[in-house]
This record gives sequence, C-alpha cells and structure tokens, in this order.
Amino acid sequence: MKIVVCIKQVPERDARLRIASDGKSVDTAGVATEINESDQYALEAGLRVAEKVGGEVVALLLGPDAAEEAIRRALAMGAARAIHLNDAGFQGGDASSAAKALAAAVRQESPDLVLTGLQSDDAGWSQTGVILAQLLGWPSATLIMEIEQPEDGRIKVKRELEAGWFQWITLPLPAVLTIQSGIYPVRYATLKGIMGAKKKEMKKMGPADVGVDGGQVGAAGRKVELKRLYVPEKTAEAEILEGDAATAAASLVDRLQKEAKVL
Amino acid sequence: MSVCRPFFTGHLDLEALFPFPSMSPEESETLEILRDSLERFGKERVDSRRIDAEARLPREVLDGLAELGVFGIIVPAEYDGAGASMMFYAKAFETLARIDGSIVVTVGAHESIGLKGILQFGTEEQKRRFLPPLARGEQLAAFALTEPTSGSDAASIRTRATWSEERGAWILDGTKIWITNGGIAEVFTVFAQTAVEREGKTVDRITAFIVPRSLEGVSSGPEEHKLGIRGSSTTEVHFEGVVVPPDLVLGEVGGGFKVAMEVLNSGRLGLAAGCVGGMKQLLAEATSYALERRQFGRPIAEFELIQKKLAGMALEIYGAESIVYLTTGLVDRGAADYSLESAICKVKASEGVWRVVNEALQIAGGMGYMQEYPYERYLRDARINLIFEGTNEILRLYTALSGLEAPGEQLKAVARALRDPIKQLGLLTGYARGRARRAIHRPDLPDLDPAVAEIARPLPVWVAEFAGAVEWALRRHGGEIVERQIALERLAEAAGDLFLMAAVVSRAEEGRRAEPGPGGEAHVTRARLIVNEAWRRVRRQLGRLREYPDNDLRVVAAEVLASSGAYLPGRRPAE
Ligand SMILES: Cc1cc2nc3c(=O)[nH]c(=O)nc-3n(C[C@H](O)[C@H](O)[C@H](O)COP(=O)(O)OP(=O)(O)OC[C@H]3O[C@@H](n4cnc5c(N)ncnc54)[C@H](O)[C@@H]3O)c2cc1C
Repeated sequence: MKIVVCIKQVPERDARLRIASDGKSVDTAGVATEINESDQYALEAGLRVAEKVGGEVVALLLGPDAAEEAIRRALAMGAARAIHLNDAGFQGGDASSAAKALAAAVRQESPDLVLTGLQSDDAGWSQTGVILAQLLGWPSATLIMEIEQPEDGRIKVKRELEAGWFQWITLPLPAVLTIQSGIYPVRYATLKGIMGAKKKEMKKMGPADVGVDGGQVGAAGRKVELKRLYVPEKTAEAEILEGDAATAAASLVDRLQKEAKVL
Repeated sequence: MSVCRPFFTGHLDLEALFPFPSMSPEESETLEILRDSLERFGKERVDSRRIDAEARLPREVLDGLAELGVFGIIVPAEYDGAGASMMFYAKAFETLARIDGSIVVTVGAHESIGLKGILQFGTEEQKRRFLPPLARGEQLAAFALTEPTSGSDAASIRTRATWSEERGAWILDGTKIWITNGGIAEVFTVFAQTAVEREGKTVDRITAFIVPRSLEGVSSGPEEHKLGIRGSSTTEVHFEGVVVPPDLVLGEVGGGFKVAMEVLNSGRLGLAAGCVGGMKQLLAEATSYALERRQFGRPIAEFELIQKKLAGMALEIYGAESIVYLTTGLVDRGAADYSLESAICKVKASEGVWRVVNEALQIAGGMGYMQEYPYERYLRDARINLIFEGTNEILRLYTALSGLEAPGEQLKAVARALRDPIKQLGLLTGYARGRARRAIHRPDLPDLDPAVAEIARPLPVWVAEFAGAVEWALRRHGGEIVERQIALERLAEAAGDLFLMAAVVSRAEEGRRAEPGPGGEAHVTRARLIVNEAWRRVRRQLGRLREYPDNDLRVVAAEVLASSGAYLPGRRPAE
C-alpha cells in the first residue's frame, strides 16, 4: 500500500514572530521551525498503517529550501522517501493553489491513501486537505481520530464530532483523510533514523515536473488575497454600568445577549 | 597541538587555537533533530521528581534512551553506533543533562568511561564482541577503578589478577566501590594489579580487563544512598576468584594505568559538557522565574541585582562552552594530548554549574529551598561533578604538575617525577636552584578583527608573565614544588584562566566572522567581560605565588592539625 502524507513546515509553537516589512507575511529569518503539529500525527498514522499492511509512506512537502529540515525529520521518523515541491512558482499561494500543486504530485504517485493534517498551525485555513480531495475527485473525511486496517479497498475511520460525539464511517480507496492532533502518540526520530534519512531519496520538483500549469499554482493561482497581517491591537476600553446592583445586573445581561452575543 | 601546554613555556599554539571549531552542517542538522526528540522524550517520559524520590531509573526510560540511540553516539557505525564526533557527543550530552541528572550520569558512566576503554584500546575482536550490544543500549557498561583504600590515589589499588598457568587465565580478586551503573551494567572495565617483569625484576603494574557480569564470581552490592543523582546506580562490585581469559585483557598487560588515565581524559570532557547543559537549563528556569515573581510591584527580573545574577550565569555558560567546544575540536582534529584541557574543562564547568545552581536557587528565594520546586534537586545533583572522575583538587595538581613537565625537562629527576604526575606525587627530588633565567618573549597573536584584537591584548602579556612565574616557581622550590600544593594550585588556576581567555577570544573572532551584526557583537561583549575578569585573576594568582603569603596559611593549618581540629586562638589546644 502506498500512502502519501502531506506535511508543512511552520514556525515552532513558542517562536517569537515578527511581521515582515511588507505587512503581509511573517519574517521567518532566524525563526525555529517544526513540522506542523497535526501533520506529525498524520505522518504517525500513515506509518502505522504502512507497518500493519506493508507498503511505503511518501512525504510530500511544498515549501522553500529551508523546509528541507522538515523533510529530513519526516524521513528520520520513517517515511521511505520524499517529494519536495520547491520552486519560486509555488510560492505565495493560498490553500487552493497549494492543493493544486499537491494534487498534481499525488496524481503522479497514484497512492492508495493521502493523509494531511487537519489544519496548519500558521495559516489555519483547514482547507488544503479537502480541496486536494476535491481536485483528485476522491472521497475524503476530516477530523480523523482513529483508522482501522484497510480491507478490500475500503478504510474505516472514526471522526470527531461536536460535544464528545464520534462517527465511524467507511470510505472506498483511494481517499484523502485529514488527521486530528492526538490520534496516536508520535514516535521520536531516533539517532539511527536521522542518520539513515540522509541516504533516502528526496526529489525536488517544480511545476513542470509535476505537470501543472504555472498560472494555477503559487501566487498566480491564488484565490484569496491577504491584505494585512497585524498583531492583535491592545485596546483598553472599560464601561461602568451605572445604577444599583439590580439595574446594573439587568443592563449587563442585556448587553451580553445583544451586543456581545455570548448568552 | 595543544592549547594549554605551551602556556608553561610562554607560547601560544595558534594552530590549536584558531579557527574556533564547529560541527559539519550535516552533523548540526542531525543534532538539531535529535535534540528535539530528546527534549520531547524528557517532557513526555521522564519524571525527575519520581526518579529522585524512588532512587531508580524506570526500565522504560532506559529502554527509551536505548531506542533513541544515546548509548552509542560515540561508537563507530560498524559496531552499531552513530560514529559521531566528540563535539556532537558533547552537545548531545548537554541536552541529556538538561533532562535529568541521574540520566546523564548513567549515560556518561556507560559511554564516556564504561565502554571508552574498549573503543580506545580494544582489539578488533573485543570491539566486535562487546561494542554492538553496548551501543544499542541492550547492555550497559561501567568503569571500575575506585576501591575502599584507593580513591584519588588510583595507582594504589589492591584488586589483583594472578596468572594461572593451569587455567591459562587470570584469576581476579578484589572489591570496587561506588561504581556507577554497578547494579545494572553487564560489562565492566576493571583495573587490577598484575605482576610483570621490568628490568629483570617482578613488579606490580596495573592491567585493565573487560569483565562481563556473566563470569562466575562477579557480583554487585546493594544500592548506595546518595545526596544527588539518586536515580543512577552506585554499588560495590565484587570479584571473587573470577576466571578471566587472556583475550579479555584490555590494552597491554601492565599498561592499565595509561588506559585509566586516557579514558578519564575523554570522560572529563563529557562531564564538563553535561555541566554546561545543566547551566543552560538553570538559566532558562531562573529567567522565567525572575520574570514571573513580583515583589515591590515589579517582576524581580527588573532589579539590577537579579539581572547581574542572570548575566553572570550567561557568562559562565559562554566561558564553559568555549573551553569545552575548543577542546572537543582538538579531539576531533586528532590531537594526541588534550589532558590539560579536559582537566581544566572539568574543573571549570563543575564549579561553574555549582555557582550557577546556587544563584538560581537564590533567585527563587524560599521557593528554591522547597522540594516543590526542582532547584534543591538540581543543587544536590550538581554537587557530584566536583568529586568524581578526579576530584577538582587532584585535577588542579595534575594541570600544574603535568604542565611543568616541559619547562622542568632539562633536569632528569624532575622530568621523571613529572611524567606520571599523579602516580608519582611526592617522588620528586632535587631540582637545581638558581638556574639561569630564560628570556621569555611575548607570543604573537594572528591578525584579528579589530574589536577582538582589542579584547585579546592581555592574553600574550599574561602568557609571558605566566611562563616567567613558572620558571620562578621551579627555581624557587626545585623538586619540592610537588609538595607546594598551594603554589601549584595558583599555577593551575592561572593556566585555566589563560585557557578561558584564549578560548573566548578564538570564539569571538569566529563569531565576528560568521555573524556580522548583532550576533557577532554579542560574542564580543561576552568575550570582553570574561577576559577582563580572567586576566585580573591571573595577575592576582601570580602575584600571590611570589609573595607566598601562603606560609601563614600553613601555620594556621598546622595549629588546627596539632589540636585535632579544636584549635582556637587564646585557648589551650584540647588535650
Ligand atoms: C556518586 C559517585 C559515583 C562514582 N562513580 C565511580 C565509578 O563509576 N567508577 C570509579 O572507579 N569510581 C567512581 N567513584 C569514585 C570517585 O571517582 C572517587 O570518589 C574520587 O576519585 C575521589 O576519591 P575518594 O572519594 O576516595 O576521595 P579521597 O581520595 O579520599 O580524597 C578525599 C579528599 O582529599 C583530597 N585529596 C586526595 N589526595 C590529595 C592530594 N594528594 N593532595 C591534595 N588533596 C588530596 C581530595 O581532593 C578530596 O577532597 C564515584 C564516586 C561517587 C561519589
């Protein structure tokens, strides 16, 4: 069984971020990075399935040169090889243009299963995985909490719903699953694994290599335009409700219902 | 190639000193990923409080460490290790020390000293047989030298191996004490007296043996109760009529003292790296505590005296890192002798972590004293570093006496006594006094970045002064110098501070070159602060060496000793 796991490199969770001078992006210079959290879980899930039924996990990453470290991490954890969509033409995109690039690479691999994280910790669209499934024309399921061993070209998975509810569903393969963080404990990259990863294949590919039109991907292919990125502004605004306790309380409830809409 | 030895004759070995070493990009990346794994392992799987309270490392923790590969970092790949450089080992060791004191001591006893003898002196067959399971962490190793009557005086051990013609094997008898991993190791590097022929006479010389626990007659005692690193195993190890086949001799018969000293040389470097890791952890925790704790309406971090402590800790780290990395670089470049450097690294880093833990605890105030917080455990764990793998006193004596070898060389008796300075402590006789003074010139520094050159100015000045003081001390004391320990300590301290100065200059130069702008500037600031303090300490030590006010100290000591420790002025000594 061939499993493609899409991973993204993001700034480390407790990294101190600065907004770049263009006011639209994060200045990544000197920022420590990691594999996006839910992608780590997707990789763990993929490795477990491959270990159970046999087969290989291919890590697929779209990102600049600096993202090679994330690929090395994935290979160190156990991915058999990696594809790095690394070209100026892939940069500056949104979820849909990223999904187009990924879809092109996935088509070339024609795997049985594609796993992605639920969402990225930086942009947080939660879109890439589902758009990817749509582009491939494959069934998909989101918020996956458990995966059963695939059988007869089908896979049974558990989804997380609201308020502690879960749902078991079965999908025909090939399929795309977006994985929820915490699905299984993520394995550690061992020293052996890290050293072994250096010998594994890491293929660098551009738009032409995966057969996708340059106008469809990266900045050229994006549908969402980011206007401004800014740190939440601190405002100090306070209002004193006048009157005795009963009047003030009634006024407070009214405002919480109508203005703040939290009740 | 040596940084410290040339100080004693007034030289700077620029080739050993520049450029400041670094790891290959490939190793850096490997380390980066391993570090993340180790840190996560530490957070998810290691409960240091419990390890301390229960005084044992859970099996799962040891298994997890084995899986991660930390037991074979330094072992070559052909024996199932990672074949990493010494610098990589030191930096990985730092991370282990940040996780837990008991863990780092366990790994160190295994890898820095336990299996190191096999690695350095083992035959191909011994390596093939013993290293793979040790590198995989399926078995642990231990280093067994100390005995009830032989601590610092390692050459006086009584454990004995007697050759039995009948069995065609050595028969090993004796007891070792305080052996780290004693209760859990499967393989021991054991040192024992053996009878050998030297110049037609039969004499006792030490021989090293590889002794698997599986041999009949090997046993270990109960766990000792300790102040700190309580989760590490420390026991007696007994050898009763153990039949050791000749192919388990490590190195040459009679060459065991050398094996022990070489192993400890590299072991001390790992120990120093562990102390660096400990200091980094303490600084991180003390800083966040200082930012959170409010008094007088402000975080205490805003007070200058707290800031001074934090800055002092950062300088301790920078200094210790610089000497440790410079020394690991020497090892990786194949330097034959780095024993002075590693001894100084061990002394400075262990005393550095002790000061840092003290300051960190102080920043935490009463909280620091409570078991609820980890500082008291850190304090207990850090203390061992000043004692084992050569006490800091012994290592200071070693640094001075071994450094004196070259300047004392012209005189045979001095040279002979200094060759094995620790073993022959006290054997030195007759050094011709009043020998003509040698002219000592200031050594040259290479072209340095202007800011670094400014900082480096005191270095050649004090190297020359130091060599002058060395000459003076040899002429003044002659062979008696071995007994003048206070003077030797001053020389060792001065040599250590020269090493520190040289290392931070080299590092700042590299930092300036590699990171223009604020990154390089940070190196320069740290180097300047460290050098400014260090050359003043050198001046003080050398000044007092010649004044020799230490005579008064010896008078007081003699009075204390004569009164069995009860002496107070104005009273009659206790009867
Ligand atoms: C937790 C722990 C783990 C250990 N693990 C190991 C191990 O794995 N393997 C092993 O072989 N050993 C081990 N040791 C032993 C350790 O290396 C010794 O304790 C150490 O070398 C000092 O020896 P000693 O304790 O007998 O002290 P002593 O040699 O009795 O020294 C006592 C004091 O006198 C000083 N002193 C001694 N000689 C001189 C001198 N000539 N001049 C001036 N001062 C002197 C010392 O510096 C010290 O301050 C361990 C010890 C401990 C506590």
